[in-house]
Amino acid sequence: MTRRITSLFVLLLSLVVSQAMAQTDPGVRGGAAAAGGPLSSVAANNPVTILNFFNDAVDRFKEVDSVLGTLAGEEGVGLGPRYNSRSCSSCHAQPAVGGSSPATNPQVADATSHGARNTIPSFITSTGPVREARFIFFFSGNTPDPSRPNGGVEDLYTIVGRVDAPNCASTNDLPQPGFSTAVATNNIIFRIPTPVFGAGLIENISDESLLANATANAHNNFGIGGTFNHNGNDGTISRFGWKAQNKSLEIFAGEAYNVEQGVSNELFTQERPLPGEDMTDGMPAGCRNPTPEDHTNFNTTAIGTSSDTVAFAMFMRLLAPPVPSTTVPGGSSSINNGRNVFNAIGCATCHTTSLRTFNSPLTSSLSGATANLFSDMEIHHMGSGLADNVSQGGAGGDQFRTSPLWGVGQRIFFLHDGRTRNLLTAIGAHQSSGSEANFVISNFNSLSYSQKQDVLNFLRSL
Amino acid sequence: MIRRILFHGLLAMALLLTGIATASGQGDFATTDTNGPPPTPLPTGLILIPGAVARSSDSRTPLPETGRIVRSVYRNAYFGLSYTLPEEWIQEFSGPPPSDTGQYVLAEISPSKSFKGPSRGSILITAQDLFFSLGPGQTAAEIIQDSAEHLPSFYKLESGPADLDIANHRVTRYDYASPAAGLHWRVLATEVRCHSVQFVLTSADPGLLDAMVEGVKHSEFLAEPTPGRGGGEVPVCIPHYAVPANIEYKVEPVMTTRKADSMPVRIIIGKSGKVEHVHVISAFAEQATIITDALLQWRFKPYLVNGEPVAVETGLVFGFDRKRAAAKKSAHLD
Repeated sequence: MTRRITSLFVLLLSLVVSQAMAQTDPGVRGGAAAAGGPLSSVAANNPVTILNFFNDAVDRFKEVDSVLGTLAGEEGVGLGPRYNSRSCSSCHAQPAVGGSSPATNPQVADATSHGARNTIPSFITSTGPVREARFIFFFSGNTPDPSRPNGGVEDLYTIVGRVDAPNCASTNDLPQPGFSTAVATNNIIFRIPTPVFGAGLIENISDESLLANATANAHNNFGIGGTFNHNGNDGTISRFGWKAQNKSLEIFAGEAYNVEQGVSNELFTQERPLPGEDMTDGMPAGCRNPTPEDHTNFNTTAIGTSSDTVAFAMFMRLLAPPVPSTTVPGGSSSINNGRNVFNAIGCATCHTTSLRTFNSPLTSSLSGATANLFSDMEIHHMGSGLADNVSQGGAGGDQFRTSPLWGVGQRIFFLHDGRTRNLLTAIGAHQSSGSEANFVISNFNSLSYSQKQDVLNFLRSL
Repeated sequence: MIRRILFHGLLAMALLLTGIATASGQGDFATTDTNGPPPTPLPTGLILIPGAVARSSDSRTPLPETGRIVRSVYRNAYFGLSYTLPEEWIQEFSGPPPSDTGQYVLAEISPSKSFKGPSRGSILITAQDLFFSLGPGQTAAEIIQDSAEHLPSFYKLESGPADLDIANHRVTRYDYASPAAGLHWRVLATEVRCHSVQFVLTSADPGLLDAMVEGVKHSEFLAEPTPGRGGGEVPVCIPHYAVPANIEYKVEPVMTTRKADSMPVRIIIGKSGKVEHVHVISAFAEQATIITDALLQWRFKPYLVNGEPVAVETGLVFGFDRKRAAAKKSAHLD
């Protein structure tokens, strides 16, 4: 008996000691949101009226869309016929408007808003991340067909049954995608919203700067390669989205408006069916509005003339980058040491600390500015563990843009699919067969507990 | 473990492909959940849709990326490299595919979970094809020299660069450390077949690093009449041989899709001037096929050494040439 108690005591003691010695993710940094406001020159209204444009854009970013725009408080026109959520800011919310997935997933309420008759897929939960779903391959019957790669967004919901969609009443005409079959066959991947703080700075980094940075890192001692994704039409470097598949903020906004909320616009002018539907019947006439639903407004004030898409892009472009903390978490000494360790072990080879923006005629904060983005804007092989098997432009199934780390301190969910809330888990996920980051993660694993903690504190300070 | 995962993955893919033969033509795009027969799931943990990767015109010719660890020895037939791993060290994860600048991760080695040694570390073996290398330095020694001279401020140079001889190859070494991370690095590089083959050794324990360096010193490299330039049993490597003055016949590869990527290629030209081997280092599948089909039709003037024709290995880039663009940019800045 005594021996058993002694064993139990030793076990408990070792658990306590190992806990005390183990590094932990400090979690979402508390305090006020360190993001969400305009660039400093925009806040100073330089040039004159730019702040008005920004404030108008914020309102539009927060606007809730309904099908006809006739519901109180939901005056945006054009929701659906297929959609993932009903507002930009419902998903780009943490820690402030423009961010990433919030703590409470709005997609649960979106499923049945105003009489909509959607089934909530198993991978959408109230405390989980906002998710966009894609099927890796098209199906033949209920089996994924590897000869037909898909990769397009499968919107979660439809407007069938909504009070403002009386002519779109049959789920037979507009069924939800077969999510349970896709889950059962592993033929589904997820993406979470990318934060858009500081996006105007990213947009205004010249291709030349990106190429020069790539050349400067060419002879790194970490086994890191990397390349750029390019815009198919003009051949320049594209930079927005998880795979850097989108060229500009306006394209990014227009595509998201159409894909995520189902709002046709002047960049993506038709209502969007599911992948595959666009090759057969499209969508029923009763479910469609006149297009484009979002457009230039000729009969309004100067600011109101812009379409929502243009305003969304302007919001992102004029949004300030997150402000890091110099003391929280862990204190300045730990944060500074974590930064040095982060650089030394090779993280900064891809997560490039800063890049300079090119000259900008828009506002002075965008011109010749230092963007502390912690990204090289390149796409890198991230291995079999992170591969989502979706190819976009020049990016293959396991290639992802180096995710900018500014603002990571106040993010809740990590990695492209939001699979973890734990930074340590996210770091570990960088290592798997085929990943360019393997050696860097080996270096990380060689660190002492306190050094790892410093790195985590540094990251949560951003 | 990795082999087992691969096996099960391939097995599952084979089952899938069998399924396709019977299911194709059913054409169900936006499938809804049905009550049909139980579906066959896709394998997980595999890259099913690769982007640009390496491809070769035959499976016999050794390639830089096809080295393997067998019984604790890393062997690479292309480089004639043989390196014995420290006891109980393994490769848990394979590296990425070759980059579009000709960089290869040949092996990533670290202690196994059962390793009981007093300290840990890691070994990275890479190769950089010098035909396509970005950045300053045209040789392994020059690249090392430049890296040592431009160490970021968060590192401290400990020694070198200095030359030593390993297996009749000139190896350049330099050592550096990070005070913040408490880690030390030993970098050793040499040239084989116009590649910079590099060992990067990392640990917090300088004693362990010394032992790791000794291990590298017992490596073997390809015997080359002119070290680093091939010859003997392998082709002579010559940069810029695929130029109009040397080409007698060529068929342009006509791409069917427009992609703004860089597609570096190594070819082996036989004594007769015929292209005998094509190694597309980084390209999408359809691009690689088009390039390979075209290049196998090219004919070159035979390359003569002492009046005798010899096989030649050279490189060329299709699409966007990142090296040339970087050099042009550098010249412009100068």
